[in-house]
Amino acid sequence: MGLEQFKNRNVGTQNYKTLDLDHTPVTGMGQFKQVVSRTFKPELFVGLWVTFREMINALFRGKMHTTQYPFEKLPISPRYRAIHDMLRLLESGHYRCIGCGLCEKICISNCISMDTKYDENQRKEVSEYTINFGRCIFCGYCAEVCPELAIVHGSRYETASEQRASFSLFEDMLTPIDQLNLQQEYQGFGAISPNADENIKKTPLAY
Amino acid sequence: MSEVQTVENMVSITIDGVDYKAKEGEYILNAARANDIFIPAICYLTRCSPTLACRLCLVEADGKQVYSCNAKVKEGMEITVNTPDILAERRAMMEVYDVNHPLQCGVCDQSGECELQNYTLELGVDSQSYTIQDTKREATNWSSVLHYDPGLCIVCERCTTVCKDMIGDAAIKTTKRGGEALDKAWKDEMPKDAYAMWNKLQKSVIAPSNGTEHTNCSDCGECVAVCPVGALVSRDFVYTSNAWDLKRIPATCAHCSSGCQIYYETKPASIEDRTEKIFRVTNEWNYVSLCGAGRFGYDFENRTATKDTAAFTAAVEAFKKAKVINFNSVITNEEALMLQTLKEKLGVKLINREARAFQRFLGFYGEASGQSLYSLNFKEVMASDFVMSVGSSLRNDNPNARYAFNNVQKLNKGAGLYFHPVGDTLVPTFGKNIEMFAHKVGHEEAALLFIIKLFADQDKLPASVKEQLESDFVELLGGDTAKFEKGFDKMMKKKETFSLMVGEDLYFHEKAENLAKLIAVLESSSDVKVAMIPPKTNSLGVALICDLDDEAEGYTIGYNESGDFKLSALGDGDLDMPAMNQQEGTLTNMHKRVTPTNAALEYNGYVLNDIVREVASAPKETIMWTEHLPVSKGFKAVEFDSLPNHYTNDGVEHRGYLLESTSVEVEEISVDKFDDANALEGEIAYRCNPQRQFNDFSDKAHQIFEGFGLYASPTKAEALGSKVEVEFANGKLTLDVIVDERMEGDIVAIPDFKSAENIYELFAGSRYQTVTIKEV
Amino acid sequence: MDATHLPEVTAAGVIIKAVLILAVIAAIAGFGTYIERKILAFMQRRYGPQHVGPYGLLQLAADGIKLFTKEDIIPQHANKIIFAVAPVITAATAFIALAAVPVFPDFTIPFIDVYVPSIASDINVGILFVLGMMAAGLYGPLLAGMAQANKWGIIGSARTAIQFLSYEVVTGLSILAPIMMVGSLSFVDFNDYQADGTWLVVYQPVAFILFLIAGFAETNRTPFDLLEHEAEIISGYVTEYSGMRWGLFFIGEYANMITIGVIASVVFLGGYNDFWIFPGWLMIIGKIAFSFFFMLWVRAAWPHVRPDQLMWLCWKVLMPLAVINVVITGIVIMLVQ
Ligand code: SF4
Ligand code: SF4
Ligand code: SF4
Ligand code: SF4
Ligand code: SF4
Ligand code: FES
Repeated sequence: MGLEQFKNRNVGTQNYKTLDLDHTPVTGMGQFKQVVSRTFKPELFVGLWVTFREMINALFRGKMHTTQYPFEKLPISPRYRAIHDMLRLLESGHYRCIGCGLCEKICISNCISMDTKYDENQRKEVSEYTINFGRCIFCGYCAEVCPELAIVHGSRYETASEQRASFSLFEDMLTPIDQLNLQQEYQGFGAISPNADENIKKTPLAY
Repeated sequence: MSEVQTVENMVSITIDGVDYKAKEGEYILNAARANDIFIPAICYLTRCSPTLACRLCLVEADGKQVYSCNAKVKEGMEITVNTPDILAERRAMMEVYDVNHPLQCGVCDQSGECELQNYTLELGVDSQSYTIQDTKREATNWSSVLHYDPGLCIVCERCTTVCKDMIGDAAIKTTKRGGEALDKAWKDEMPKDAYAMWNKLQKSVIAPSNGTEHTNCSDCGECVAVCPVGALVSRDFVYTSNAWDLKRIPATCAHCSSGCQIYYETKPASIEDRTEKIFRVTNEWNYVSLCGAGRFGYDFENRTATKDTAAFTAAVEAFKKAKVINFNSVITNEEALMLQTLKEKLGVKLINREARAFQRFLGFYGEASGQSLYSLNFKEVMASDFVMSVGSSLRNDNPNARYAFNNVQKLNKGAGLYFHPVGDTLVPTFGKNIEMFAHKVGHEEAALLFIIKLFADQDKLPASVKEQLESDFVELLGGDTAKFEKGFDKMMKKKETFSLMVGEDLYFHEKAENLAKLIAVLESSSDVKVAMIPPKTNSLGVALICDLDDEAEGYTIGYNESGDFKLSALGDGDLDMPAMNQQEGTLTNMHKRVTPTNAALEYNGYVLNDIVREVASAPKETIMWTEHLPVSKGFKAVEFDSLPNHYTNDGVEHRGYLLESTSVEVEEISVDKFDDANALEGEIAYRCNPQRQFNDFSDKAHQIFEGFGLYASPTKAEALGSKVEVEFANGKLTLDVIVDERMEGDIVAIPDFKSAENIYELFAGSRYQTVTIKEV
Repeated sequence: MDATHLPEVTAAGVIIKAVLILAVIAAIAGFGTYIERKILAFMQRRYGPQHVGPYGLLQLAADGIKLFTKEDIIPQHANKIIFAVAPVITAATAFIALAAVPVFPDFTIPFIDVYVPSIASDINVGILFVLGMMAAGLYGPLLAGMAQANKWGIIGSARTAIQFLSYEVVTGLSILAPIMMVGSLSFVDFNDYQADGTWLVVYQPVAFILFLIAGFAETNRTPFDLLEHEAEIISGYVTEYSGMRWGLFFIGEYANMITIGVIASVVFLGGYNDFWIFPGWLMIIGKIAFSFFFMLWVRAAWPHVRPDQLMWLCWKVLMPLAVINVVITGIVIMLVQ
């Protein structure tokens, strides 16, 4: 890409539209005419009518515009980066996080930390996981790097709390097990691209 | 043998069209690495023999495909690293390695430093062409420290190789996997070397070589270090951290006088406890091998220390009235220099038993030979092809001495003579050409005379020695003359460099002076060069820096030792001191090298320098003493911060500096006559630590399990019972009997790693004592 | 209704009436804020206050509690006495003005037999009195703005002076024409004049419009809320006020709005005469309520004007029109007679 468009600083030739405005009258007669025309134009009443109509709309036609936050909330974009969620596997209900530590490593605020151990089933158990939201800048790198789609950005954007540095523990972020069926697949930053399948090469299997 | 590269033994080669110089007789791979050229290779370990397991190191040399880890450079050799054929082979090999390799990098402990990952990426393996039915392989624990997951193992045999060629245990080997046989059809379809590699891979896994579930080995963990994948991991570390979360602190291991290069790897202990904790110890395993103490005995830090001003004031008072400072060799050169300064300024006496014995021995040797230090360092021992050991329990005293002894057998087609009263079943297994003499205690002079007889140029010998050489030493030392003579000719075949390692038994010997003279005679009259094993961590440094006293009385300050006022890095004294992993400073190791170590963990208390500042004078920081180490003793006046601590690709050690040794002309030596009657008889106890135990610090570490007890060979242990009372001339001990399966004979070993037990007092200046042992 | 048939107005009746006016109007003024917020919200398709009490009705109480409990801050350099008295002037003049206008129809309290008149004090120059009282209300903002040692306050009081004084002229002139027709300054006479069902607005449309416009200015309502216009002068004369003192200005403003509503209803819109099936008291409440609503409506619909436009409008448009109206009315009266 060339830089021509950045180098052209002649803003005067750009495609501005000029509004077709009346000229301010200069003569006394002109001003008088303006007053008369403004006085007898029903514009003032149009204003009254519009507000009245909207009142009727709002009151009787169910066109009230208010979203009654915090009782009602507007849906947010899946790409919005709010407080993190930890997802579970839909099939088994087990948490998805495998404790690979990539999020911990990539986090530029250095606010993720986790404890892992070798469990009875010879698996890596994530015994605790925490994000220090006093430091998190919601950059989304953790969600992007996570190979398991385990840590994702959720929709909890109300982050005010008594302590800025309040920690969020694994349990707080994990989908409650009884709400597993409500768990939404993440669409935002770091989710699988829609054409992911096309990019996969098949591996031959012996069974 | 020196490492000086003279022009004569260098050859010219071209790699990918560029001219390089390489050492004659070097493997192509090493030559390339020394010149910073990358050749893919997995299975080769620098100081071990090539196994040709991975075949990745294929290169074209003078038009032929060779394995660069196994082919030596020749003058004018033209080497091409990548040809289309080789690239196809390598790619096929990496694909084969990835067949059925679990997709578990995400949890794997090796992820991030995994060579399988790296090479799969490096060679751009983005698809798989091969397939075979997988075999179920269960993860097992081989020992108290080893965890093996055969599912991840790529059978590169690095673990078995290092265990055999370096450690000497040969505790693991490849065995049958019992999986599906490879379909012959692949043979035609795929590159030849890749097929051969796969064929072998598919058939093997690694298992303890004694046929049981457990290795029963020295638990050195070197196999864990060399494993390129996550197959071998220490049990304590499995799944607790990821490579990239750990901070590496270059340091020097402070358990024994090997002074190995290590990295302490730390990160915050847990989410609740954010203080840094050491999670593991790693090393540059291509150039240095650790023992179990260094690898696993890392958590001996003094956590509880605080700035306790009352204790500090008491310490300063104690120092002011002190007559004696009693310390040991787990101390840095800088601290030793501080103590020496105190001696000079306050007139206190310095007591350090093991360093004093070594100092005296070095003194006798110096007088006799004119050399201020022993001749060889242990790297040079490792490069020799005939190695001998006198006066050291090779398996227990010093891992690097043992590794050198073993490595000479394995790599240099070497031979060895091992003289020691305590029989050992492991040492003879190091090689075919090893003769072991389990001589009587007190026959050390005979052993040296025997070596002189074998190697010395008779004409160069002083008369006092010559006249003693008539006896049949083989018989005297407990061998079979006829058999030895036959074997010895074979042993001597094609041998060029000879080395002798001597150990602590000689320093604590009644006839130490005479032994030192014999060593000097040996060196002056033969090709044999001698290396000495300093008894403990920094004994050499202390011996050089401090003016130690033999006896002392009065108010005593104990530094990690007993005393009226105790400074302790173990947290049990009157004033806390930093442990070695919380300290900066230098250590002088057996390689005659002054190596820097760094603080891995936080320390919040007072240090010795603070006390010295109060009672005498001291600079701001401990490490400011480094440049004042005595130049007259071979140290250099360099700042601590300018000391390097790494290895380069050609294996050259850049760690601190080597001590300068000086030599002067001396007159002819006259030695005492060897007296057969000096041999100890009866029940004998030997002051000797189990493997992986050196001092209170290794004992404090949670992964070192070797206990304080009486170690005995299986038969002896059976005779003794399970718990015994050992009576010395000046005291007694009650100890559990612990079987050491690799000991032989009737001598029992009593450890000295617990300073509180005052074992040195019981042994009264010797390493052997006659005792009475009763079962209790 | 014939005045002569009415029971005698006792002192007790007047006092009850006065207390009634104070209580009810103050309450209505407060309630007015609630209504205003609701109406404006609806016109913008919002809900307005709705969380305190049913439909947010108790918001009023919440605001009241808030105002009463708020710290009463008097700026360091303010003229403390004047600063303290100014809001009382506004509130007092507003209520005093209400003494002379008919608020609710008259009634007799049963059992104690006390007659409560519809006008607390039916003086025969009621209109003059009311206009005068409202004009005196000018001192509230004027003194408040000048006493608080704040430049926004000063600007606010300057605007108070010019705006109130100018529009007083228009109010007076516009109402002069109806007065000429009725020939009395008593509200009762005005009411009776329209008893036949023909509202004065029919004869005096121009005077009505002028009066309304001037009324907006007198009560400091949008589009003429220049005295305390946030976008320009923070809060004008009330910048430094807080708590209940500020509340008094508010009550004064709402009371004035009601007063204007009452005058407009009585003078132009037929007063408290019965109309068709609707009784007089309902009619007057309805008319006042509508004029109140109209003020809110205008606020929702129209932008406010610049001070210079305000002056221009007053002296170049409204005042001449009012004079012309008076002249024409005079001529017509002359001709008819
Ligand atoms: S969003 Fe960014 S800052 Fe926050 S935890 Fe994730 S990586 Fe760290
Ligand atoms: S990146 Fe994902 S899977 Fe890995 S530790 Fe973080 S949350 Fe768990
Ligand atoms: S051994 Fe290496 S390739 Fe295999 S799972 Fe572990 S990190 Fe991945
Ligand atoms: S355990 Fe590790 S070092 Fe040993 S063969 Fe397997 S992959 Fe190689
Ligand atoms: S721990 Fe050491 S001795 Fe044991 S198997 Fe591993 S390398 Fe061999
Ligand atoms: S490195 Fe040469 S064969 Fe493996």
